[in-house]
Amino acid sequence: MHRRICLSALLLAASGAASAMTAEELIAKNLEAKGGRDAIKAIGSLRSTGKLSFTGDFSVDLTLDTIVSRTGKVRQEASLQGMTSVQAYDGTEGWQIQPFGGRKDPEKLSADDSKGLIDDADIDGPLVDWQAKGSTIEYLGTEDVDGTEAHKLKISEKDGDVKYVYFDPDYFLEIRTVTQRKVRGSEQAFESDLGNYEKVAGVYMPFSIESGPKGAPKQQKITLEKVEVNVPVDDAKFAFPASPAASK
Amino acid sequence: MRTKNTLAAAFALAAFSIPAAAQDAAARFDAGTISGLGARNIGSATMSGRISAIDARVVDGKTLLYVGAASGGVWKSTDGGTTFKPVFDKQPVQSIGAVTIDPKNPQVVWVGTGETWTRNSVSIGNGIYKSTDGGDTWTYLGLPDSERISRILVHPQRPDTVYACVPGKLWSDSTARGLYVTHDGGRHWTLALKGPNASTGCADISMDAKDPDHLFVSLWDFRRKGWTFRSGGEGPEAVSGSGLFETHDGGTSFTSIEPGKDNGLPAKPWGRIGVTIAPSDPKRVYAVIEGVRSALFRSDDGGRTWTEGDRSQAMVWRPFYFSRLIVDPKNPDKIFKPNLPLIVSLDGGKSFSSTGGGAHGDWHDLWINPDNTNHVIGGDDGGLFLSHDGGNRWWKGDNLPISQFYHVSADDQDPYQVYGGLQDNGSWVGDSANPGGITNARWEPVFFGDGFWVFPDPADPDYLYAEAQGGFLGRINRRTKQIRFIAPTAGFKEKLRYNWNTPIELSPNEKGTIYYGAQFLFRSRDQGQNWERISPDLTTNDPNKQKQEESGGITVDNSAAEMHTTIYSISESPKDGRVIWVGTDDGNVQLTRDGGTSWSNVVGNVKGLPRNAWVSTVEASQHDAGTAYATFDRHTFGDMDPYVYRTRDFGRTWQKIAGKEHGLRGYAHVVKEDTVDPDLLFVGTEFGLWISTDGGARWAEFKGGNFPSVAVRDLAVQPRDSDLVIATHGRGIWIIDDITPLRSIDDALLARDAAFVAARPVQQRIASFGGSVEGDAKFVGDNPSNAAVITYYQRTRHLFGDLKIEVLDPDGKVIDTLPASKRRGLNRITWSMRVKPPVVPPAAQLANYGTIGPRVVPGTYTVRMTKNKQIYETPLEVSVDRRTKLTVAERRLQFDAAMRVHGMFGEMTGLMARINAVRDQAAAIVAKLPEGDPARSKVAGLGEKADAIRKEIVATKEGGAITGEERLREKLDNVYGAIVFYEGAPGAYQLATVDALQKEMNDVAARFDALVAKDLPPVNDALKAKGAPAIQVPPARPVAQSDVSSADLDAAFSAWRGASFGRGTDLRGAKAKHVAR
Repeated sequence: MHRRICLSALLLAASGAASAMTAEELIAKNLEAKGGRDAIKAIGSLRSTGKLSFTGDFSVDLTLDTIVSRTGKVRQEASLQGMTSVQAYDGTEGWQIQPFGGRKDPEKLSADDSKGLIDDADIDGPLVDWQAKGSTIEYLGTEDVDGTEAHKLKISEKDGDVKYVYFDPDYFLEIRTVTQRKVRGSEQAFESDLGNYEKVAGVYMPFSIESGPKGAPKQQKITLEKVEVNVPVDDAKFAFPASPAASK
Repeated sequence: MRTKNTLAAAFALAAFSIPAAAQDAAARFDAGTISGLGARNIGSATMSGRISAIDARVVDGKTLLYVGAASGGVWKSTDGGTTFKPVFDKQPVQSIGAVTIDPKNPQVVWVGTGETWTRNSVSIGNGIYKSTDGGDTWTYLGLPDSERISRILVHPQRPDTVYACVPGKLWSDSTARGLYVTHDGGRHWTLALKGPNASTGCADISMDAKDPDHLFVSLWDFRRKGWTFRSGGEGPEAVSGSGLFETHDGGTSFTSIEPGKDNGLPAKPWGRIGVTIAPSDPKRVYAVIEGVRSALFRSDDGGRTWTEGDRSQAMVWRPFYFSRLIVDPKNPDKIFKPNLPLIVSLDGGKSFSSTGGGAHGDWHDLWINPDNTNHVIGGDDGGLFLSHDGGNRWWKGDNLPISQFYHVSADDQDPYQVYGGLQDNGSWVGDSANPGGITNARWEPVFFGDGFWVFPDPADPDYLYAEAQGGFLGRINRRTKQIRFIAPTAGFKEKLRYNWNTPIELSPNEKGTIYYGAQFLFRSRDQGQNWERISPDLTTNDPNKQKQEESGGITVDNSAAEMHTTIYSISESPKDGRVIWVGTDDGNVQLTRDGGTSWSNVVGNVKGLPRNAWVSTVEASQHDAGTAYATFDRHTFGDMDPYVYRTRDFGRTWQKIAGKEHGLRGYAHVVKEDTVDPDLLFVGTEFGLWISTDGGARWAEFKGGNFPSVAVRDLAVQPRDSDLVIATHGRGIWIIDDITPLRSIDDALLARDAAFVAARPVQQRIASFGGSVEGDAKFVGDNPSNAAVITYYQRTRHLFGDLKIEVLDPDGKVIDTLPASKRRGLNRITWSMRVKPPVVPPAAQLANYGTIGPRVVPGTYTVRMTKNKQIYETPLEVSVDRRTKLTVAERRLQFDAAMRVHGMFGEMTGLMARINAVRDQAAAIVAKLPEGDPARSKVAGLGEKADAIRKEIVATKEGGAITGEERLREKLDNVYGAIVFYEGAPGAYQLATVDALQKEMNDVAARFDALVAKDLPPVNDALKAKGAPAIQVPPARPVAQSDVSSADLDAAFSAWRGASFGRGTDLRGAKAKHVAR
């Protein structure tokens, strides 16, 4: 169970889109559809709980609990058989605990392996304040997403990641994201489909995220049960633990 | 399968409002409707496919490689060929003629579509494309009538100046051919050099590395018809538009380089010419010139004078197929020529040697790494080959599934196998499923040459029929591999005309009866021992189309590829064995209704069809003797449109059921009727697969599983599994698993918001293991799902609110909740057919087998979908794997045994919770009491005893090493795994172990009970004396195996621990509150 839990798709959930169509208009429409920039910016912290399923001939479900702070920190927990894996980013570096093989000591993540967490640590997602984040954006017209002719936006980020975001043509919410990044020099692409949008604190958020390597079946499926905003956040939860986690 | 809508209206749609537009969307029948069925590619890449163009660049020390497949798109590798991804799959054509990386910016890539190795089976393109982001997105930049593009050169200093060498249309006249140039990155194109007639285009171009405005260009006069081909003029001495040209001003003006007394060039007429300037010495120019004296010519003075070099057979061999020269970037004397084998000259073209090593034959392009000229990558009819010794010995690329099937069939094994033949890659049998994936090794070669039809002999499974080009029919023993040639042979002064792709037909009514077609139809009822000729010449027998010995133009080329006036398609009616349909390549549709005694040509009844259209398929209906279907292919006349007709009255009248007016694109190869639903039709064209569910009134393109716009040459329905097996000419075999849902599509279904859709019966296929470690550089085809596949329809994409799918057991209890797919149209999700895994006490490591639940007992389950407060239900019949002899009773024995262990895990978890409660409370108290306090040691002693008991139950050694530590939990996990992974009754020894472990657990529980009864009271007394709270022990919760529910245990455990554990707490009320904000 060492697969990364990628919630970047969820956290893309804040941006905008528009008509015939520039990239800026598309983003503006998405933000409006989502509930408005102010509502997004009013989220100081975000806690999501639900289920992470690896489907296929043998499916495995894990309990998922993620908390993100506007300070740019994130902690994701996935539990199975009373053991909890943790992946976190403290604003500077990523770390993890992968207990399922018998070791509960925290370990550092490489810079490349932390990239997804860094994305997840951004409550706003890549579309809000994209200029300030050093990204460039490009509208690429429409493209079929499983029978929906979706608007396609390309975001080239400062760290070299490239994201493609597909927007529903009627509601301008994201229905698919593709993240391309180089990991140890090798290109990887990860695709997520978003759905089951519900409004939380005035912001539409996807409660269903299905992900997998681009071109392969999306067998990692997140189904959220609850999303809360502005929950109390203990900053220590994001920090690399000083000592090994207590064993149970 | 019945579906019901148990809850009518949901008027209170929570707080989120769903805007009206999408909800009111009209029902549609299009690609989005049907493509959710998905499709899987089973390869293979062991027999890859023809590669027509390659370009590469060393970027950051790694080789960036683009491979253009003849009919399978563009494949990109950033790791020198270890892994590839197809980057052109969303484009409307898949035939590639040229791939060029911008010399300045490796993110910029140009693709010219339409292969220019113009064999009989060559596909077509539609113009030129450019990507500026490394192939992620493509911009179409015109040249729509080019049909094929052989070369693209980008100016190294001015990348907006690009040359496109366009041979143009193969099958018809066109003036849209020659050398095109753009100076604005492709927005506008100018025809810089054109030929003297409407059949002459550009074949090759080479740029001076030191002076990019200096180029050599060859023009080529060529034409193919169904029955002949010419490279050059109509014969060796006939006028040809071919020529060699030079420009010094970037294409503004050209000089024709004519043969002269002193310049050493051979006399015209010429055919195809390959020309290249040595990168390291622009004075050195090579040209391979097809003429009456074909040879390699070399110039050492920049093209002013030429010397004849090699004129071996290699220079004469199929110039239309081999006409490219690649000079070593550092050594002007080393020159490769892709040929039947790859050949190389080390002496400036005086002589050539074969250097193809163990690679496939028929090479077409080559790249030499300029930084390390020992690193060479080439493409041929067998795929991609890589050399690290300068092109002497070769690694084969095993990861490009671009195989070019002509036909496919399927048998009735379980899992079934598929059979088919390939362009220049023989005939093969492959698995439709295999534990661990369908690796290259799961494909077995059975016949040589170019392969076409392959069938297992239904009368004798030890044999199969296969063939090579031009009518080499073989009967093959599958065990000994012995081949017997059984094609009917000619009589006195007779020539039998067998098509390149000669049809084999197995009688659907008589096992062992086969048909084979030349110009006559032959039938054998004894597996090829004897043949009867059961027809006269069924073709037009037009002598003007029988001059293949003159075919080739300048260089004769009579390989059987142009054999014409032949039978091309045969179909015996499954409803009446006397009804046999025959289609010919020259436009006849012949019918006998008396088993071959009399024949009538009914093609004249096909209204609106131009004469002599190639009958690519005639197919008798599965359901009605008078009904037949035919596809007519006119691409050999330059008409690329599909023509698909149906008759319902033995050919007296025909209705056009599919054409471009129905939205189909590309000339049609095959029409297939479903084995169950006569209104469910499939048509394969040069550009993909189209499906009709209403007998041909409307059609939708199938794009499931990212199926590209690749040529679909043949289709087979595996009737038992209802699978559609797709033979693509360029991307191998694909399978749409279970087309049953298509049989349910009608207007009523399409109009519904959502509905379950019937699928094939669900089996509990055995979980099995297989495969071996193959590294990253091998293709592996996907398996069908072993889970229960649940299909449903949604009129629009689900965007807002919950879409929940639950599975209920026969008692109506929810046993699983499944993530739901959201797409418009048909959706598919899977259910593992397992109950929830046991609740397992935490320990040092995961209990691996305990992460899955036991498989349910076969029976009738219910699937319930809740969408926007509407509820839909459908029954789901679950049965055993039909390959096994397992009974439901045996399955129940397994399930019950597994659930007993499942319950023991729960019991163990409860026990552990009580033990941990004592231990943890003791530890907390000890931490608060001062050292030396007499109660402290008592409490500590109790905690230690509790912990000792804990360590008997679960492994506790942490650290991540291989501890080998087995306690009750780990032992139980092992026996659980043994039971869960065998679907039948568990062994008595396994049950005995379960009994033993139960006894051990009882013993441990008894010791803990004794601890609670004897050791705890004095401790609590001591605490009470201090006024401290007593240590509480949560109540033992008896767990009856019969009513074990992991959810119940989970909830109980979570409640006790005060934290979520194992699965999420039901927070629906909380969510509703949030929604309402």
